[in-house]
Amino acid sequence: MIPLLILTPAILLAAIGAAWKARPVHAALLLALCLSLVGCLYVAMGAHFIGLVQFSVYVGAVAILIVFSLLITRPSDDDEEKVRRMKTGMPALACSLPLLVMLGFTMFKQSALLEAPADEPAMSLKVLGEILFTDYAPAVLAMAVLLTAVMIGAALFAREPSKKPEPPSDS
Amino acid sequence: MKDAKHQEPAGKAGKWTIPGYGLLQGLFVSGRNMVESYYKKERCPVIQYPEEKADISPNFRNFPFLCYDGDRPETGLRCTACGICEKECPPQCIYIVMDRDENGKAKKRPKVFDIDISVCMNCGICAEVCPFDSIYMDGQYEMATDDRFEKLVLGLDRLAKSTDYHMQLRPKEATAVMEKRKAAEEKKKAAAAARAAKAKAAAEKKAKEAKEQAEKNADDAKGGTE
Amino acid sequence: MMLGNVEFEMAWLAPEQWPRLPQHLVEWLVALCGLPEWLVSIAGWFTSAGVVVGVFMGLFALLSLIERKTLARVQNRYGPNRAGWFGILQPVADGIKMLTKEDIVPAKADWLLHLLGPVLIVIPSILALGVIPYGQDWVPVPLELGLVFFFAVGAMTEIAVFVAGWASGSKFPMLGAMRAISQMVSYELPLIISALAVVMMSGTLSLPEIVESQGGYTLGFLPQWNLFTPWGLSAGVVFFIACIAEANRCPFDLPEGESEIVAGHMTEYSGFKYALFFIGEYLGLFAISALGITLFLGGWQSPLPIFDFLPSWLWFFAKLAVVIFIFLWIRATFPRVRIDQLMRFAWLCLIPIALLSLPTAAIWHYANKANNDIVAWIATMPLVLIPWVVLTVLFNRRLSPATTRTYHFAE
Repeated sequence: MIPLLILTPAILLAAIGAAWKARPVHAALLLALCLSLVGCLYVAMGAHFIGLVQFSVYVGAVAILIVFSLLITRPSDDDEEKVRRMKTGMPALACSLPLLVMLGFTMFKQSALLEAPADEPAMSLKVLGEILFTDYAPAVLAMAVLLTAVMIGAALFAREPSKKPEPPSDS
Repeated sequence: MKDAKHQEPAGKAGKWTIPGYGLLQGLFVSGRNMVESYYKKERCPVIQYPEEKADISPNFRNFPFLCYDGDRPETGLRCTACGICEKECPPQCIYIVMDRDENGKAKKRPKVFDIDISVCMNCGICAEVCPFDSIYMDGQYEMATDDRFEKLVLGLDRLAKSTDYHMQLRPKEATAVMEKRKAAEEKKKAAAAARAAKAKAAAEKKAKEAKEQAEKNADDAKGGTE
Repeated sequence: MMLGNVEFEMAWLAPEQWPRLPQHLVEWLVALCGLPEWLVSIAGWFTSAGVVVGVFMGLFALLSLIERKTLARVQNRYGPNRAGWFGILQPVADGIKMLTKEDIVPAKADWLLHLLGPVLIVIPSILALGVIPYGQDWVPVPLELGLVFFFAVGAMTEIAVFVAGWASGSKFPMLGAMRAISQMVSYELPLIISALAVVMMSGTLSLPEIVESQGGYTLGFLPQWNLFTPWGLSAGVVFFIACIAEANRCPFDLPEGESEIVAGHMTEYSGFKYALFFIGEYLGLFAISALGITLFLGGWQSPLPIFDFLPSWLWFFAKLAVVIFIFLWIRATFPRVRIDQLMRFAWLCLIPIALLSLPTAAIWHYANKANNDIVAWIATMPLVLIPWVVLTVLFNRRLSPATTRTYHFAE
């Protein structure tokens, strides 16, 4: 219970910071912090595997992707950003309000969520793996095919165009 | 410009290699260098400076020094304080004062001979222009001091070095200089001897003539009296 | 044996148990003082972590000297030999120099992130070192998901490099960070895929169990390490090359290519923050070498049955020394590759070979199930050799320097 009490406010603060910060890079880093704290929360609740996957996928890949795309964009002016935030803040809040309400409703409805987590994970990794590769095998296969296709596509992109350079014209 | 380099190589004509073979060759070379450096001197030719020193080449030249003959710099200094080097020195780092006796007559040796090595640029023009074989470039390179001013101005006491030192530093050049000087001295001696002989002959002739004159005079006197 | 009112076991003093000795001693001392049970275990954890950090910081200091000595010998020099006997105090001198240097934060830097960068670089390396099995029964943190944990904390390094590069507020760190991240992301793929082959074969993500699965000897003297199987050979070679790139070592040390981008993401750092980057880099090197040893070189298993009497951790560190020496040797030999060559090599060469090692492992698994080693070898060797044949043909037909390099202007 103690990690939960420490981590949840930290997660919320990081999330609010990510939404509030004017500089996109700061916001992205706070988002990464938020996601890694969620990973910590999973670990604290006994779901080690999902916690570590949260780390490697969200912090290692998604956050890096966001950060990389930020680098390619033009550095924005701070004041301009503040104006834009005032303009877009209210609609964003309005959009996320139903989600918040829904989450709160589920939490109060499902009182089991508030119970203390078990020390032992409910499902061992071996069982998880077996379920993934038997019941959910088609989904896993589809994902694997998709990812392999993406990888081959990336490799094709990485390949240089095999155009031979023109020899210099004699002058 | 259409030389062989720009043409497509002949495909399979070259030798086929396995990828990575060149890398292994490189690893072999560097590994051999590493292992052999522990027991082969030519694989580790580093001279560890403060303890060991490299032999300097006779062509090495650093700040100038003054050469003297014999044992004592006070008497044997070749320098005549002519001041040619002082005038020729491009950065003007040489300062010479001629030594004079109480009558103001030049003694043909320097009273003060200073070289400011913080200004000297090691060009060696002083050594080239010196007509008295006095100034040469030195092989000394440990010149560091803790004082920028006084200790970087070399006076006669630090500049004067014996011919033996010169011989040790640059044997070929020093031998040539010694032979030249010896020849010059011998020529001078011979000239002096010739001059002396000539003078002697002249004196003798004069004496003879005088004698003859005297005899003649005597004869005349005799004749006169007769 | 009872000393005071707490058991002191003489078995703790056996050479096999030496890495655990500090932990046992501290736990025993704390228990002797009559402190509660939970404090005893916390003290034990801290000692265990302290041993890992202490040993690897010591090895880092030693390696910084040995690396310079080895490079010097390859270049026909003596290397540092002034500070102490054979230069043994050189790391101390370096440490004092780093600590006493001025810490400069550029005016345009984001000071908090600028400080956070080097700290975040060191943390994942130390965390990753915690899950490695160093001896038969010494794993600082015996995690069931050791391998996943290793790669999960490794992901933090990329964020740290980005933070360091961006917070410096200048262009060279930025470019260096972009290079470093793209390199790390590209090489993480072959690294993980080749590690996946090992996971497939041993059927576990726990590092101690992976080491145990490599125990035993074929014909009584050949160790059954993963490297000595067809799939392990191809995966191991890919893993080793990807390791070099992940650890930012020569010839893949592009992020700090001083001729192009000064020192990459470390350009604006000085003093101890700069030293922290080095500590992080070397601890990362130890961590990834240790992982490679665990996955492919049999961890703490001894290479020959007659050496089984030596303590297991000794074998682990002997293998670590050999692997690190190969890293040094490679650094001393090869020039740095170009950034486009680096990426092309990862995506067109390493990833296909790593992917191919997965079916190879599967075939090996089913052939071995039928208890037929010869059939397994015959069935898998073609899959291992195919990439080499293809590479040889490509190398000689298309990629060889004679055909691709045409110098039009540099005459």
